[in-house]
Amino acid sequence: MKQSRAEIVAFVGGQILPHEADVRAWLRRSGSSAADIDDVVQETYCRLAGLDSVAHITSGRAYFFRTARNIAIEKIRRARIVRIDCVTEIDALNVVDDEPSPERVVAGRRELGRVQQLIEGLPERCRQIFTLRRIHGLSQKETALRLGVTENVVEMQSARGLRLILRALSEATAQDRPVVGKAHELHSVRKRD
Amino acid sequence: MNSIPSASEIDEEAADWAARVDARGLDVDHDPELRAWLKGDARRAGALLRAQAAISFLDRGRALAGAAPPVEAVPAERPSRRALIAGAGGMAAALVGGVGLWRARPQRLETRLGEIRRVPLADGSLVAINTKTALDVAMKPRSRRIVLKEGEAWFQVAKDPERPFVVAAGPVRVRAVGTAFSVRRGDEAGAGVDVMVTEGVVETWVEGDPSPRRRVAAGGRIVLASAVSPTVAQSPSEIERSLAWRNGEIALDGESLEQAARLFNRYNSRQIVIEDPELARERFVGLFQTNEPESFAAAVAATLGAVVADDAGSIRISRAHIS
Repeated sequence: MKQSRAEIVAFVGGQILPHEADVRAWLRRSGSSAADIDDVVQETYCRLAGLDSVAHITSGRAYFFRTARNIAIEKIRRARIVRIDCVTEIDALNVVDDEPSPERVVAGRRELGRVQQLIEGLPERCRQIFTLRRIHGLSQKETALRLGVTENVVEMQSARGLRLILRALSEATAQDRPVVGKAHELHSVRKRD
Repeated sequence: MNSIPSASEIDEEAADWAARVDARGLDVDHDPELRAWLKGDARRAGALLRAQAAISFLDRGRALAGAAPPVEAVPAERPSRRALIAGAGGMAAALVGGVGLWRARPQRLETRLGEIRRVPLADGSLVAINTKTALDVAMKPRSRRIVLKEGEAWFQVAKDPERPFVVAAGPVRVRAVGTAFSVRRGDEAGAGVDVMVTEGVVETWVEGDPSPRRRVAAGGRIVLASAVSPTVAQSPSEIERSLAWRNGEIALDGESLEQAARLFNRYNSRQIVIEDPELARERFVGLFQTNEPESFAAAVAATLGAVVADDAGSIRISRAHIS
């Protein structure tokens, strides 16, 4: 049965995206380059975007790791040159650590803290808009009224904030090293301000 | 170089679209402008989904303002851990028993095509002898003298300051006290003698040449008595790679197929022939067994879209023709 776009987006937002930092960290440990990691992650979302339904995915985390692994191996095989380290890289990719880390059991609470930190890491104007829109659930129009700016400004700032958050999400290593990762996550958002 | 946008560039555009969809309530499946953008690159659909998912992820923050957050455990699914791909086989060379006898006459050591041997010498030194090589070993009370007649050998020299260890290759001399180095005589005239040092320091010179002796330290390489004047090059990793033959391996790191074929042909009677000159210039990376030119040919075929035709005498690699 075909699911609505909103359902799929909600699933990806809740079950896939929160694990992106872990998948990236694991690909990095397997020896993939930064550019390759970006491509593998993007391709994974692409495959999800091509699905009519995500109802069959019981564990978003396991699905993400498995799909990323398959894509990474395909990439290696497609490469025009056979690298000396490919054998070990493919092998490293086969050791998928998609089981929940101890932190994941309390993931719900942790995740919300992460959202808050992501938003707090934004430049002031972006942060205000994100807080009103995403945390208080105001519409774009209400947000514009509240801040005394045009809707166009709200939209532009939202896009800007979203870019920064997407970057922060891909750079984060929160699950890898919870404390250091959090600090890095914030730092990397501010750095680009 | 090319105009293919990177993953992060696409992510940025997708963020703009996701913000617009969110602000204006656009219908992703039917908005013509958005459809056109999505069609432009297959990766955009994934980037848009990710950006929208990020907004959705942030929306979970709404709970921060009010109710206690839901706690959810993610079901575990353990992947089967695949066994390590079995490492390449052991040494191709069989260890030849130690020669404990004092020898007045030089001892001749030889290898046939494709053969690689490691031979312990009477003084405790070790020599690894590459394919198609001949050398004479003369152990005397005050000197240790090796004459490399042809081919290539690597020496790990036991320390003995009283007895200098000298390798002669044509007019070239390489002298060591406690060190490890390889000496290779080129096949063609004018190719010279290639000396690579893996440990310690050696002293090199050419008999009859008045120029001062040159010292080459670990990680250094010098070609003597060739058409060009000798220079010392520092390349420890390059040297390790060049000496992969000691483990019966050929390590390619961007060599052209032509050069790679020549390397394999040093070890095998079944010669590799690259039939297409353009293909021969393609560069290749990989680790192979010296005695398995077939695996090399298969790897080339798989990665460069070539075809392999082989018979008893040769392995011919050519471009695949689109029929």
